[in-house]
Amino acid sequence: MKGVHKYYPGVHALKGIGFSLEKGEVHALVGENGAGKSTLIKVLGGVVQPDEGSLEIAGKKASWKGPGDAISAGIGIIHQELSLASHLTVAQNIYLGKEGGRGLFVDLRSLEKKASLLLQDLGVELDPSSSVENLTTGEMQLVEIAKALSRKVMILAMDEPTSSLSSRETERLFRLIRDLKARGTGIIYISHRLEEVFKIADRISVLRDGEYIGSGPVAALSEEKVVTMMVGREVKTLFPRSDVKPGKMLLEVRGLSREGVLKDLSLFLREGEILGLFGLVGSGRSELARCIFGLDPFQKGEIVVNGKTMKIFSPASSMKKGIFLVPEDRKLQGLFLNLDVKTNISIVHVLRKIRGMLIRSSEEKKLADEYIGKLDIKCTGPDEEVRHLSGGNQQKVVLARALSVSPGVLILDEPTRGIDVGAKAEIHRLMDELSRQGMGILMISSELPEVLGMSDRIMVMKDGTFSASFAREEGNSERIMIAAAGA
Amino acid sequence: MKKVLALVSVLLLIIAVPAWAQKCTMGMVISTLNNPFFVTLKEGAESVAAKHDMKLIIYDAQDDSAKMTSSMEDLIQKKVDVILVNPTDADAVVPSIMKANKAKIPVLTIDRGASGGEVVCHIASDNVAGGKMAGEYLAESLGKKGKIVELVGIPGTSAARDRGKGFNEVIKEYKDIEIVASQTADFNRDKGLKVFENILQAQPEINGVFAHNDEMILGAIAAAEAAGRKGIIFVGFDAIDDAVNAVKDGRLAATVAQQPRVMGELAVEKGLAYFMGEKLPEFIPVPLKLVTQ
Amino acid sequence: MDDLKRRLQKYGSLLILLGLLAILAIFYPGVLRFSNMMNVLAQYSLVGICAVGMTFVILTAGIDLSVGSVLAFSGACGAWFNTVLRMPWPLAWAGAIAVGMLFGFISGGLVQWGRVPPFMATLAVMAMARGATLILTRGYPISGTSTAFNYPGWASMGPVPVTGTILLSLMILAWIVLRRTIFGTYVYALGDNPETLRLAGINVGRTRIAVYVISGATAALAGLLMVGRLWSAQPNIGIGLELDVIASVVLGGTSLFGGMGGVGGTFVGVMIMGFLDNGLRLIEISSYLQQVIKGSVFVGTVILDMYLKGRYHYNRSRDQ
Repeated sequence: MKGVHKYYPGVHALKGIGFSLEKGEVHALVGENGAGKSTLIKVLGGVVQPDEGSLEIAGKKASWKGPGDAISAGIGIIHQELSLASHLTVAQNIYLGKEGGRGLFVDLRSLEKKASLLLQDLGVELDPSSSVENLTTGEMQLVEIAKALSRKVMILAMDEPTSSLSSRETERLFRLIRDLKARGTGIIYISHRLEEVFKIADRISVLRDGEYIGSGPVAALSEEKVVTMMVGREVKTLFPRSDVKPGKMLLEVRGLSREGVLKDLSLFLREGEILGLFGLVGSGRSELARCIFGLDPFQKGEIVVNGKTMKIFSPASSMKKGIFLVPEDRKLQGLFLNLDVKTNISIVHVLRKIRGMLIRSSEEKKLADEYIGKLDIKCTGPDEEVRHLSGGNQQKVVLARALSVSPGVLILDEPTRGIDVGAKAEIHRLMDELSRQGMGILMISSELPEVLGMSDRIMVMKDGTFSASFAREEGNSERIMIAAAGA
Repeated sequence: MKKVLALVSVLLLIIAVPAWAQKCTMGMVISTLNNPFFVTLKEGAESVAAKHDMKLIIYDAQDDSAKMTSSMEDLIQKKVDVILVNPTDADAVVPSIMKANKAKIPVLTIDRGASGGEVVCHIASDNVAGGKMAGEYLAESLGKKGKIVELVGIPGTSAARDRGKGFNEVIKEYKDIEIVASQTADFNRDKGLKVFENILQAQPEINGVFAHNDEMILGAIAAAEAAGRKGIIFVGFDAIDDAVNAVKDGRLAATVAQQPRVMGELAVEKGLAYFMGEKLPEFIPVPLKLVTQ
Repeated sequence: MDDLKRRLQKYGSLLILLGLLAILAIFYPGVLRFSNMMNVLAQYSLVGICAVGMTFVILTAGIDLSVGSVLAFSGACGAWFNTVLRMPWPLAWAGAIAVGMLFGFISGGLVQWGRVPPFMATLAVMAMARGATLILTRGYPISGTSTAFNYPGWASMGPVPVTGTILLSLMILAWIVLRRTIFGTYVYALGDNPETLRLAGINVGRTRIAVYVISGATAALAGLLMVGRLWSAQPNIGIGLELDVIASVVLGGTSLFGGMGGVGGTFVGVMIMGFLDNGLRLIEISSYLQQVIKGSVFVGTVILDMYLKGRYHYNRSRDQ
């Protein structure tokens, strides 16, 4: 690809990007959110048309009118959002749109046979006849890959393939990538996670604000160097955790059990503490958070907040007691994407602070302006719709909503997932500041560096129980991984 | 004097001629055009309008009183000269007629009347004449003598009252014909069957039956066939499809048919006549027709 | 492109209305007469009143197919209270509106607690209310309601129909509720993302049921006014009305996917439907063709809605 330009209204998304990929190469594309990585992939996949620039495949000029052209040219793309039909089986999804079969009827059995051969070939153990809705996110990802590979693929582009995978699943994906590479497939790998990139890629290219910044073989680059290229400045302390002396007890969970998910869990959280909760996908971390916030019922155990045992379990009563949850998936659970920033921030606050039925829009605006300033939310103003914001700024909006009710206990489920390095650091700084003001934070994360860098104490979950807990100084990646994966 | 007279007559001509030549625009609201009866009515109206080279605007109320009201309002808005309305409901049309009255547009009702407002004239089938027609046919078929039964419609309705009135007036003239039973069966086929079953039990000899509508007569025929009673002459009213078929089969001797085409023609003709300054009676009957084999 | 779309979304319905008026005026200039505007207001204010309630429901990504039947039943109840039970009109009105709210509550309850899709729940309620109407009226119209009972439905103050004034006041009230109250915010939020609303610790069920109750109440109000307009409660009134009402709301720019739109647009949508109906009659298009044209407009509107807004719901990520 040479000199690719793409303009969106008001945004020059790609500014003359050049990019090359060799046979059997894993080329990583890194950059902050909004750097243009996904747009570049969309150009490659024919999803959007470039306004300028050219594309050459195997020495021949190519131009796509739509995704169909790209697919027939041997380009497979796995987008960040999974696009499986959840009620169909694995086999049906893999061969969606290319069922073959006779006439109107689909020969399910032969599809399943073909799918099982393909999956075997990829070294994936999955039943092709099982319904996709029963799979874990990681398994769905593998189905996506199988779907892409069910056609003849020369170039496979993956956009954040590991964002929702556990480390075990990530490992499996990496094995697959190495395998594909050995067969001569060129792979474009997009990720935020630099450690992964260094593990899997042969070459790294960095984009920033739609511009090509530089590239080089992995051997010639270091993580620090790449981060510097990405953000365009030195990132000094990624994890600015200060020493805070824990105060009085805020939250105690005693013997909490939820049938089939959680077994006899106890934990406590004190003022000014950040408790890191680590676990692989499916270990029950988010489920625990949901129980504490009163979203899901549980059979045994009690929750004590500020010395008082909770009697009613609902989000509303948890909020009244000063617990607030920032959910895992900001687009599905955290935001009203089509509503404006000020409504997103103030929706819970108005419930508690403004008397009577009427909302005073001036107060609402004042509140929004306050948090836009405090958290440095980049938007055109409180009236901008949240969907126009970048991931990091969207996350800040969710955080602003949580902070607007000044909770004593803040549960953050994956607070920095899928957001860029700069915003990540800002959120970490904010967490530190909040805990210094006495807030207790329960942070759920599957990013080890984050857990290690931000937590005062670390608890590791595995199969619905706590498998280990560490003080800040005791924790290191190996010990935590062992506790989580149970090697 | 002659001169003055001539001048006056010329003046009159000048004033009067444009008035007579002026085209009449008529609006017509029909309760539904989903029913062949009213479609035929509409065609009759259109043919007359075409003959007189006048403008006729037809709106379909789709059996919806709200649509009828809106249609009437739009006709008033269009400032038509005469409104012909076949109401969806006698009550629901009243406020619309009052609006037309306020706008000084004369209103004629067709087939179904209005329970209020100022209506110039009501044009509908002449049920009295229909009853007479049925009575005469039955009497002649029986050879002016015999025992007959009358199945009466829902008491209090104009159809039952008028049809019964015409029928009884005629039968009175025939000394040898006796009405042995006259019972109500509510215009309903099922009731017609049950009522006539009972009458058959009570009356060993019945020569003829007249019912105020076809539904009841078809019920009566079913009862007679079930009881194995033969030789009864049945006469119905309305000429619904089932009844016309029964006439073809010979099970029903006759039924009285309304003439929607004539009704439509008459409505436009009378509307035009009123526009031209003619006085109209309160009710203009539309002649009926006997359907026989 | 997106900018154009956003503007189309905002002012599109107004453009459609102006375009429609222009076309109609070519064929029949009288469409634009003041008296005809008032005429349309009188004819479509009842649809408009139902559309106010429907806007609430559709904003939450729901739908209420029962409005026509609830209108008929509430109107019949009001007339029955007034004529048979001899209740004074304010009492009869209050009773009838309570009946409408009850049916709305049933719909809302089925959707919230029964987890029945809104389309099915309100279809069931539609059948129930129509059946109840036929039972109450035994298939005959109820007439004889008092003059005071009928007054708001058919009278006009000067040239302005009373129903039009009621519609406008209701629109203003609904605007305030949607834009200036906590409840209104929840309505938008519920349509946008119910899960987020739940996670924010807000009682989603109360909001969801409330919108159906509102829709029931507005349908009942329209039903009472309809009795006044026809001086009688007709058992078969309001059949197919939901189509006009939903089309008005969607034409007014409220998305069937919920969360986007508002009552101001609904007013424009009602006027589009009103002028379409009135205009097609005034330019004397055959009644059979009128129905085809209206159906096409409805389908066109829904397609336009999907084009303008559906995309965001299916393809939510625009960043990166």
